[in-house]
Amino acid sequence: MSVRRVAILLGKDFKYGSKGFVFILAIVAPILISLVLNLVFGTFFSQTAKLGINDQGNSRLVDLVSASDSVQTRTYASADDLKKAVEVGAVDMGVALPGNFDEDVLSGNSIVLPAYVWGESLAKNRGILLATINSAVRQLAGQEVPVHIETTTLGDTQSVPWSDRLLPLVLLVAVAMGGVMVPASLMVDEKQKRTLTALAITPATLGDILAAKGLMGVILALVMSIVILLMNQAFGVQTGLLMIVLGLGAVLAALFGLVLGVLIKDITTLFATIKGIGILLYAPVFVYMFPQIPQWIGKIFPTYYIVQPVVEISQQGGSWSAIATDVFILIGLDLILIGVVVFVLRRTKQFAV
Amino acid sequence: MNWQIVRALIAKDFKLYFRNRFFALITVLALVAYVVIYFVMPSMVDETLEMAVYAPVLPPILEQAGSQGLELVLMESEEQLKEAVIGGEYLAGVVVPPDFMDKLMSGEKGRLDVYFGTDTPEELQDSITVLLEEMAYLQTGQMLSVHVSPEVLGRDMVGIQIPMRDRLLPMLAVIILMMEMLGLASLISSEVVGRTVQALLITPMTIRGLFAAKLIMGVSLAFVQALLFMAVTGGLNQQPLIIIAALLLGAIMVTGIGFLVASGSKEMTTVMAWGFPALIVLSVPAFGVLAPGTVSDWVKAIPSYYLVDAVYQAANFNAGWSDLWNNLLILLGFDIVFVWLGITVLGRKLR
Repeated sequence: MSVRRVAILLGKDFKYGSKGFVFILAIVAPILISLVLNLVFGTFFSQTAKLGINDQGNSRLVDLVSASDSVQTRTYASADDLKKAVEVGAVDMGVALPGNFDEDVLSGNSIVLPAYVWGESLAKNRGILLATINSAVRQLAGQEVPVHIETTTLGDTQSVPWSDRLLPLVLLVAVAMGGVMVPASLMVDEKQKRTLTALAITPATLGDILAAKGLMGVILALVMSIVILLMNQAFGVQTGLLMIVLGLGAVLAALFGLVLGVLIKDITTLFATIKGIGILLYAPVFVYMFPQIPQWIGKIFPTYYIVQPVVEISQQGGSWSAIATDVFILIGLDLILIGVVVFVLRRTKQFAV
Repeated sequence: MNWQIVRALIAKDFKLYFRNRFFALITVLALVAYVVIYFVMPSMVDETLEMAVYAPVLPPILEQAGSQGLELVLMESEEQLKEAVIGGEYLAGVVVPPDFMDKLMSGEKGRLDVYFGTDTPEELQDSITVLLEEMAYLQTGQMLSVHVSPEVLGRDMVGIQIPMRDRLLPMLAVIILMMEMLGLASLISSEVVGRTVQALLITPMTIRGLFAAKLIMGVSLAFVQALLFMAVTGGLNQQPLIIIAALLLGAIMVTGIGFLVASGSKEMTTVMAWGFPALIVLSVPAFGVLAPGTVSDWVKAIPSYYLVDAVYQAANFNAGWSDLWNNLLILLGFDIVFVWLGITVLGRKLR
């Protein structure tokens, strides 16, 4: 195998293959799906009350309100900016704190604090914001809370937000579209257009051709996985470990794509096959979507070992010890698939025609 | 221009369009899907925090909870309250002990037991705690020297909030229009590549007639679907004439953009490659309606802003001609620019 020839073939695939429908779909589909899911289940439509503050002094109230989980706080440089933000609905309510606000509160002087309220703000948000401002002012004034509130969470299931439950699905779409579909469709396309036969009479070996297509799948799957994790703010802190796991997952997907590409002769059969085995590819995500399903069911499917370490690192802050077993299984699966690719290649010598 | 020929070409184009299974399927499926999405989404906005309360002696301040955005439902027992919270009927449940008021009045610290469901978001748990503390302050007569004086900017929508599905209407209308743009662009580019357009031009069909046919076909495809969608979802209940005018102008605009996309495309995949970025950019103003405050004034540079704003204002706020004439006028201006640009660029390619 020649590295130079693989690089040339890879460059050619990027130049011409990137104009193909499957390539574009592999980039657009995961991003669109992620956007839509974020819109529906994510923080984009979060109804947490938003408070805008223009602090003309250096009031402690800003810190006190910002520390509260009940509201999102944004600060504005001028009263005009604050008013504009309220008018367009960027915040539900805006208050401009005068320069000597803290001193007036501590000395008990009567203060009228003008507040702008966005017309479309929900009644509950207005109530929460007023109560939060009042609570902060009371803290500032040193008033003691007259009540002790004991909170208890009822029910024995841990609540996992839907945005977290759906991340494995989007991640697998990115890996499957880029890693499986792209190399497979490139191979099939070469066969259908008979350019593979033309390549066979050049010094490029079948190994070079497969390596180039596989690399293309690995790069695309890796890049799209990173994009999806970044979009979902789920990159975690173990960047190096995450990249290794994503890389191994991308290799697994690309190898599977090559097997399909070698065995299948036309694009219709490829789409039909992908549709047919789609349930096997995406089955593990149901374990994450519905935690009631026993975890062991997910472990039956190979793609589980791509998703689980990523979820462990990005969402649960897991370290190497937590994912080591899954990563070794992933490496094992990679090795098995390399063997399968070699075996299929040897058995299917006539694959170019 | 021979209108008989134009009519024949339009009829042929419709046949060809629906012969492309991808676009034919997307056209029908998408329309049905959008209608389903609309009707599946909640038709009401939940403006209050619903809480269960078990209080053998109800503190007077809790009777004024409505003004704080709380809706309290009295329970007969603590067990009933816990079951209701576990069952997800309420975000939280508050148990007020019988001696709560006595303790507050004697200057002692009272105690409240608050139960949350596992699905109650943390920020709401915190909000409910803050609201209850504030009510306790008021109950003990601890007034504040700071009085917040609210001024509502814009129309006060408390009690008449717009449900998310109605905010979504303009976005779906834009997507419907844009999908048709992709279909039209694909049809034209396949004709250019197949050289059937050149063949047509050696018949009595003129280039003006050709563009007239494509324009009518593109506008009718996009307009009829968007109109159908708005009619089915009740989007035409208020100011139907303004909405129809806005959709028609929007359909003309996307047809012009469709000509531009077709001029740079060779087949369906390049149509997608050019068309999707255009679709995403034109959808941005609709995001501003869905999540107010997320886009700034630069959004007004995107032509679809004037379509989205007109449809949103007319359908949800009953805005009239006097409020929206400038939107429609700017939209008309964009129509002229895009159709002229599209015809010029595509015309050059055909020649």
